[in-house]
Amino acid sequence: MESVPGATQSLTMAAHTASLQAAMEFVRKGALEASLPEVRIGELDLLIEEIFMNVCSHAYPDGRQGVVTLTYSIPAPGELSVEVADQGAEFNPLNAAPPDLTLNLESRPVGGLGIFLVKTLASSITYRRDRNWNRLTFGISAGS
Amino acid sequence: MDAESAPQFEQHCRDCVAEGLTGLVVDLGELTYVSSMGLRSFVSVAKTLQDKGGALRLCRLNGLVKQVFEITGLLRIFPVYESVEAALIGG
Repeated sequence: MESVPGATQSLTMAAHTASLQAAMEFVRKGALEASLPEVRIGELDLLIEEIFMNVCSHAYPDGRQGVVTLTYSIPAPGELSVEVADQGAEFNPLNAAPPDLTLNLESRPVGGLGIFLVKTLASSITYRRDRNWNRLTFGISAGS
Repeated sequence: MDAESAPQFEQHCRDCVAEGLTGLVVDLGELTYVSSMGLRSFVSVAKTLQDKGGALRLCRLNGLVKQVFEITGLLRIFPVYESVEAALIGG
């Protein structure tokens, strides 16, 4: 499929686990438009799941039903940029302390690997608080 | 193995533990995807088995799944084998 530099698409959905598959499918369309190889699409699924589930878990702790807006663009052929935005409590997941990968099984915490995976797999990642929005933007490229 | 399927996997493993098994071999040869929720289940089950004197053995990791285990340092924690047969007789 031909790459379309500059193309931007957005989708807003409920910040709920039930929306995860729809989120993945939406961003996969961008991956196809950007001509990302299959191996990158698996990584893209992982990035979206980790970030999306993070929003579902942390953005709206007061129980109100929030939304997530996904926006993707293709800065250049073979490159995809994805923004995940929510209107929840201010939260920069990139501030999370990195896990200690040297610990043995007894000492390892059960969780805490999601954001580390995101930071490792994305070719770039930034967070900004924009009025009442959390905006996490990552890039993934054919060669990354 | 994602946020939706990982709890099912973990429950299945816990059912095995409840039946008295202390050693489990998980064949990952057909698994193409694992997120941190899946990793959480693997670590949780492995801790339970280790507490009982057993172990969770993994085999046939490949592709993205192997990459994710490598990135997170979990390949050093789990006994990993090239085949089911090797996992069954190993360690």
